[in-house]
Amino acid sequence: MESYIKYLLDSTIFILEGSVLTVKLYAVTIIFAIPFGIILALMKISRFKTLRYLISFYTWVFRGTPLLLQLFFTYYGLSIIGITLQPFTAAALTFVVNYSAYLTEIYRAGIESIDKGQYEAARALNMDYFQTMRRIILPQVVRRTIPPTCNEAITLVKDTALVVVLGMGDLLRSAKELFSRDFAITPFAIAAVLYLLMTTVIVYFFRKIEDKYSVYE
Amino acid sequence: MKRSIVTLVSLLISALFIVSCTKDSAKDKSLEQIKAKGYFVVGLDDQFPPMGFRGTDNNEIIGFDIDLAKEAAKRLGVRVEFKPVAWDGIIFSLNKGDIDVVWNGMTITEERKQKIEFSKPYLNNRQIIMVAADSNITSKDMLKGKIVGLQLGSSSENALNEAADLKKSLKDVKKYENNTLALMDLAAKRVDAVIIDEIVGRWNMAKKPGAFKVLKEDLGTELYGVGIRKNDITFKEALDKVLDEIKNDKVGEEISKKWFGENILLK
Repeated sequence: MESYIKYLLDSTIFILEGSVLTVKLYAVTIIFAIPFGIILALMKISRFKTLRYLISFYTWVFRGTPLLLQLFFTYYGLSIIGITLQPFTAAALTFVVNYSAYLTEIYRAGIESIDKGQYEAARALNMDYFQTMRRIILPQVVRRTIPPTCNEAITLVKDTALVVVLGMGDLLRSAKELFSRDFAITPFAIAAVLYLLMTTVIVYFFRKIEDKYSVYE
Repeated sequence: MKRSIVTLVSLLISALFIVSCTKDSAKDKSLEQIKAKGYFVVGLDDQFPPMGFRGTDNNEIIGFDIDLAKEAAKRLGVRVEFKPVAWDGIIFSLNKGDIDVVWNGMTITEERKQKIEFSKPYLNNRQIIMVAADSNITSKDMLKGKIVGLQLGSSSENALNEAADLKKSLKDVKKYENNTLALMDLAAKRVDAVIIDEIVGRWNMAKKPGAFKVLKEDLGTELYGVGIRKNDITFKEALDKVLDEIKNDKVGEEISKKWFGENILLK
């Protein structure tokens, strides 16, 4: 029994070492993808036709191809034509670009869901475009898009496991290593608990934001 | 009365003894089962040239081990099916029964022997260190502070673990799903060296002439065998027999020459 607890503890520590990468990649992606998503969404509803087409093309490509393929391309594909990125850079870049594409569409839908009358009211109060967006529209958009953003944030936790194809050691890879060493399922159980813990924190965090923003409605 | 009880008990004990003995000496049914099924399933990493990989025609799995397995099946009077599985879980797949053998340049190691049985060895292999052609690394000592790549769960990983001093001197070990990815990263110079089976390394060097070179020092020699479940004794015996035949006749020689240009099968 005691040796089993020790095994459990050692395995958890080993897997936690791997999860450092998971958390790092997660943080970088969230920090960049959410603002990018908002900016690109604003660009997608702008007056400029070319800009709209460009953004549509971008979301079409990045939502329409597997993230795994995109990772392969950025890491191995670009190295063939001489652009050699370090594994973390390549992974972070791909994740940010991929997740921004999804978030762009979420925020675009959010902005378009706001009633036209509000723009007119803002104009009547002599607000310009940026004032309207910042003071009236975006706070409501944020509130409305919290649930789909939370969905994406949860998916991202699990998607980070894809970086094993770049030879990087993340949470799941550490568990896999223990699995192939010990032929026991325990490491996978530990990994599952750790993933659940992470998503629990995220869900809790988004619930808090939701509460905070609920004053707008 | 007392006497009859003693007789009864001793009779029972001897009966038990006989039963357990016959159970031990009884042959297992693995060979019969495979013959009844009409085929056996070879599990492999299908990105492991030249042992087993996807050819350009019809995306079929081809390779040295594939040809050997087909020939062995023919001589056993059954068909053979190939099933790609993840290499790092391959022993698990074997013991679980998803596949019947691992025939995929599998190195016979003590660690694996605790979990599975092996056929007689059929090839010699070395764990070599490959570097980029223009690299200035010429010895193991010069790997100090460098990044080394290898396949996760491979015997290359074992070999490095055994060379503990070397492992400690490295900056990092990058572990890939397969050797092809490791070599791609070596070509992109994101790793400084790759530890790999000589058989596989040489094949890749022939495919990409002038891209890589091999260090004189290696991480030891080893033997390739076919991985079989521990209980499949009769199947192992039958397989060993046909393997011995193939190793010593024209067909084996032809297969070896086809993939390696010479006959390197162990006699």
